[in-house]
Formats: sequence, C-alpha cells, structure tokens
Amino acid sequence: MTSSRLPFAAASLAALTTVAAAEPTLYPLTLENCGETLTFEKAPASTVAVGQAATEVLYSLGLADSVAGTSVWFNEILPEFRDINDRVERLADNDPSFESVVAKKPELVSVQFLWHVGPDGIVATRTQFHDVGIPTYVLPADCEKKDNTVGVDGTRSELFSTEAIHQGVRELARIFDIRDRGEQLVASLTERERKAVAAASALKLEDVSAVFWFSSAEMDIDPYVAGSKGAPAYMMDKLGIANVVESDEEWPVVGWETIARANPTLIVVARMDRRRFPADDHERKLEFLRTDPVTSQMDAVKNNRIVVMDAHAMDATIRTVAGIEVLSKALEDFGLAKK
Amino acid sequence: MSLTDSQAIYVSRLGRGTLGLSVVVVAILAGICIGETPIPVATVLRTLANRIFGAAYAVDPIEMGIVWNYRLPRAIVAACCGSGLAICGMVLQSLFRNALADPYLLGISAGASTGAVAVTVAGLGAGVVSMSVGAFVGAVAAFLFVAALARAAGGGVTLQGTGQIVLAGIAGSQLFNALTSFVVTKSANAEQARAVMFWLLGSLSGARWPDVWLAVPIAVIGLFACIWYARALDAFAFGAESASSLGISVKRVQVVLIGLTALVTAVMVSIVGSIGFVGLVIPHAARFLVGVRHGRLGPTVALIGAAFLIAADVISRTVIPGQVLPIGVITALVGAPAFALILLRGRRRP
Repeated sequence: MTSSRLPFAAASLAALTTVAAAEPTLYPLTLENCGETLTFEKAPASTVAVGQAATEVLYSLGLADSVAGTSVWFNEILPEFRDINDRVERLADNDPSFESVVAKKPELVSVQFLWHVGPDGIVATRTQFHDVGIPTYVLPADCEKKDNTVGVDGTRSELFSTEAIHQGVRELARIFDIRDRGEQLVASLTERERKAVAAASALKLEDVSAVFWFSSAEMDIDPYVAGSKGAPAYMMDKLGIANVVESDEEWPVVGWETIARANPTLIVVARMDRRRFPADDHERKLEFLRTDPVTSQMDAVKNNRIVVMDAHAMDATIRTVAGIEVLSKALEDFGLAKK
Repeated sequence: MSLTDSQAIYVSRLGRGTLGLSVVVVAILAGICIGETPIPVATVLRTLANRIFGAAYAVDPIEMGIVWNYRLPRAIVAACCGSGLAICGMVLQSLFRNALADPYLLGISAGASTGAVAVTVAGLGAGVVSMSVGAFVGAVAAFLFVAALARAAGGGVTLQGTGQIVLAGIAGSQLFNALTSFVVTKSANAEQARAVMFWLLGSLSGARWPDVWLAVPIAVIGLFACIWYARALDAFAFGAESASSLGISVKRVQVVLIGLTALVTAVMVSIVGSIGFVGLVIPHAARFLVGVRHGRLGPTVALIGAAFLIAADVISRTVIPGQVLPIGVITALVGAPAFALILLRGRRRP
C-alpha cells in the first residue's frame, strides 16, 4: 500500500491540521480486538467490509482500492465517496453469506457490528473466518465497554465516547501501515468535535433536555429513542444537554406518556432513507408530533424546537461528529443561550 | 321450579352481571390511573369530568391528554381484545372439542405476521398501507387458505372432520410462518427485524380512539354471537353427531362461528398484535368458576378476559420504570402460574 495510489483524502485533511509523521507499522503486528488477539505479518492486500460504517472508515483512510467488497448497507454512501463506491463490488445489500465473503479471498474482514461475526454471528463466527486464515477486525465502537449479549442492540456499560471511533480509525491505519493518514483523520474529527462543543459551551445552557426519536414500528406506537449511553447520549453529554431517557439499552422503546411528561426542551428526529415503517419518514414524525393531542402540547413542539438529524450520525460511526455539529448549531439557532 | 326459585335465579344472575361489569369498570379505572408515569387520581377524575360532563377544572394539558387520549382508549381496547380473544378461544375449544384450541389455531396469527412483515419489511403497499391493514389482510388470507384446505380435505361435521380443520390450521400456520421468515431473511435492508418482532408479541401502546371504535363493536358482536349460539355450543360439547341429533344445523353453526372467530381474531390481532395465552387459558379458568354451560360461560369468559388483559397491560407498563414490556410476555408470565393454581385447585374438587 503506497500513499501515491490514494491521493484524495489526505490533502484536505492535512490542510486542517498538521500532524507529526507517525512511525511505520512494525510487523508482525499484534493487537487485541473485541476479545480476540490478532496478528498481522504484513499489511492486508485486500479487505471485505461488513457494515457501512466499516466501509466508510476504510474509504476515509483512502483504502478504497483495497476494498474487495461491501455489505450491510443502511443508507446512501457519504456523497464524497459516491464515485469510489461505484467501483467497489457490493456483495449484498444486507448480510452477506460466509461464502460470498470468503470467495473474495480477502486478507482481512472489517466488521461494524459484532453480531455479524460474534458467537452467534449471522455471517459466520470469527473462528470460522480465522479457520480459513482470514482475520476479522471489529470496529471497537461496537464492543468497547459494551455487552452485546444484553439487550437487542447490546447494552453499554459506560457512556460511549468518540474515542472508540478514533481507536478504530487508528487501529485500521496501523494494520494497513498508513498511520499518518489515520492520525490526520482522527485530528480532523477531533477538531470538528472540539469546535462544536466549544460553540455550545459558549451558550452557557441551563436545564436543557432532549429526546432522540429514531423511529417507531407503527405511527402511534411507543417509539425507539436513544438510550443513556450510546452515541446520542454522548452528544448530549458533551453539549450540556440532559437526556430524558434513562435506559442503558442502545435504542430502548419508551412510551410517549413518559416522554411527554418529561417534556424535553428539544426533540431530535432521525432522517433516514429506510422506509420500513411509516415513522422512518421524518416528515411523518414531524406531522405526528404536531397533530397528536398529547405531543402537540409539549414545549419543544409548541416552540418548534425540533432538530432533524441524519440517522447515521446517531450511530457510533465517523458520522457521529456531524451529529454533534448539527445539534450544536440547533442550540444556537433556537436561542437557548442564557441571557 | 317454583316462582321464588326463578326469581332468585334472576336476581342472582343480575347480581352476577352487575358484579362482573363493575369488575371491568374498576379494571378500566385502574388502567387509567396507573401508568408509566404517576398521575394523581384527582387529576384523572378531573380530566374525566372535563371530557365527559363538560366540567372546566384546570388540568395540565399534557396530563389531560395522557389520561384521555392515551390511557382511556388503551384500557378500552385492552378490554375488547381480552374479551374478544377469550371468547374466540372458548368457541373454538367447544367446536373442536379440543382443550388446546386457541384463536390462533386457524393460522390467523401466522398470517397476520406475514401481512405485517410484507408491509413493513418488503415494502408492499408503498407506505400507504399500514402494518395493521397488512396484518388484517394476511390474517384473512391465512384463514381462507386453512378453511379451503380443510374443506378440500373433507373437514366438517364429523369428529374426524374437526381433526382435519386443526391439521389444516397447523399446515397453514407453518406455511405462513415460513413466508414471514423468508421475507425477513431476504429483506434488502440491514436493520434487524426486531421492531416487527416486538409488535408481533403484542403492544397496546398504539391504541387511540379510532381503534376503540373498531374494537368495541367487534368485541360486542363476538359476545352476542356466543350468547346467541350458547345452546348449540353446549350441544357441541357432546360431539357434532349429538348436536345434529339435537336438531342443530351443525354445518351452518360451524361455518358462522368459525367465520366470526376468524373475523374477531383478525381484527384484534391487527390492532394490537398477537397477544398469546388469553384465548387459550381464560376459557378454562372461567369453566372452573361457572361450569361448562355457555349461556353463563360466555359472558364470564368475556369479563375475565377483559379484566385480565387490562391488568396485564398495567403490569407491562409499570414493571420496568420508564420502559414498556411486550404485553404477550406479561400475559404468559402472570397467566401461566395463575392458571397452574386454578388447575391444582380444580383437581381437589369432588
């Protein structure tokens, strides 16, 4: 892997920050990843991505030419990677089969969610991949301080932090021997986050609370909202907002009664391409909030303090920082600064 | 039978009826007063006074909305579903002389899942058709499939014939469950199908006034049909042949009652999802209380079913603070031990 093959991302990132040149990776490289010890004799020549977040990290690191296949898509690729992505084979929209991954003879499988390759892996278990000599790397955002055996989407033992995302970027960069680019990407993500947090703390917020509404199985039914330890909780924590939801699960179901009584200052609704449920459409969410006899009485709805945020920014991905930016901007626009 | 005897029976029947109805009213009141968040009883009563008698007490609009637009319709829908499902279970148990018959015997629950999944996961209906409509269509389709299969296999008035219906129901359920798995597996989207699963376990959280206007008439139709056919149902307990010899038009009663139970079940499933256990167990519990005569059993089953489901719903909302459990979990968790108790007590009877 040489940097001359991948000129596109580094230039813009380098303009933002200057990072001291990092050491090249020393092989064999050994690292702990989600409960497994991985050893790399050399940088993998190719990888298959299982999970859109893994794909986007690889693209952000300029590794598109190494990606032999992608799978598990939730929504459109980030616009800046559209052309690159068109050249990469999509093995499956949803979960790829074990054989379709192996057939690509990748030297690494990069995974977003542990449930794809964990002990009950839908694709296969990590052991199955390791048995055919293919190492698997799971993004730490899905396993660091998180118990995937509890709750439907897993349960975090500690508040999520973008550190876990940065760790994934750094480790992939080490595996592929492009540590400079990894550091640049982390520096740019950190700087964006720092700016958004600084802007919010300048507002000196007091008693601001929020709820993140992801979707609902039926329009009127109890909604899926962000729990107290996932990426949305981290955003709120960083920006000085209280989450009205107390569950530790990633996306617990909480009744409108509880949410309406908590009466948060603002409501964040997810915008997504998915159209599985009527409530996936953020316009339908807004309509519900404004017409339901109870939610229409909430302060956030009456004062039109509703933020529309990309659903993928609400997951623990490199897009999380965009969510922090959107929320920080909304706090300012809503005039919540202490006078 | 002397005059005083019949009067005594009349009075006690009235008394029982009043008692039963007041149990349901109390259950509904409990359903309104107890919820995810504490709302003082005074607020609840003021809200009811405002909305029903046009009083003008000052009540927080959010609390008033919760009581009137969330909790009250939810309790009424729970009552209707509980009684509807329990009645359907009772009718099918009697028609098929099968203690294990429940409203989902005829493939309705499996069909509803397929319909719901076809709408939500496969995107059938392009966002216009809601999950409830999909579930209803699926339920009816599955029932028609089972009915056609049973008919082709010669199901009907004989004991063997009712066996054919049960077997056709099993075949239909398996087929539609497989279709559901197929749709979920080949879905083009990576999200887990868990939201669908939550719904399939049953949830009353989406119940609003329009659901009430659908559920109440359907539950009433179910109850009246079973009272109307009480004598026929009694006769079926001795088998279809005996019923026929008692002058009952076996075929017609079967068609009408099976059709009605399918309709009631399909509507209830499409409103709240497949809530298990109620239709299977409540009829047995009621038989222990009032015996096997359907004139008395039917209303009892309806009342117990209504009160039981409201109670289960209250528990599902309060057992984990700030979070709601699928009601199907509660009906089984609470219902199974309660039923075990009834079974054991029934055994000691002479």
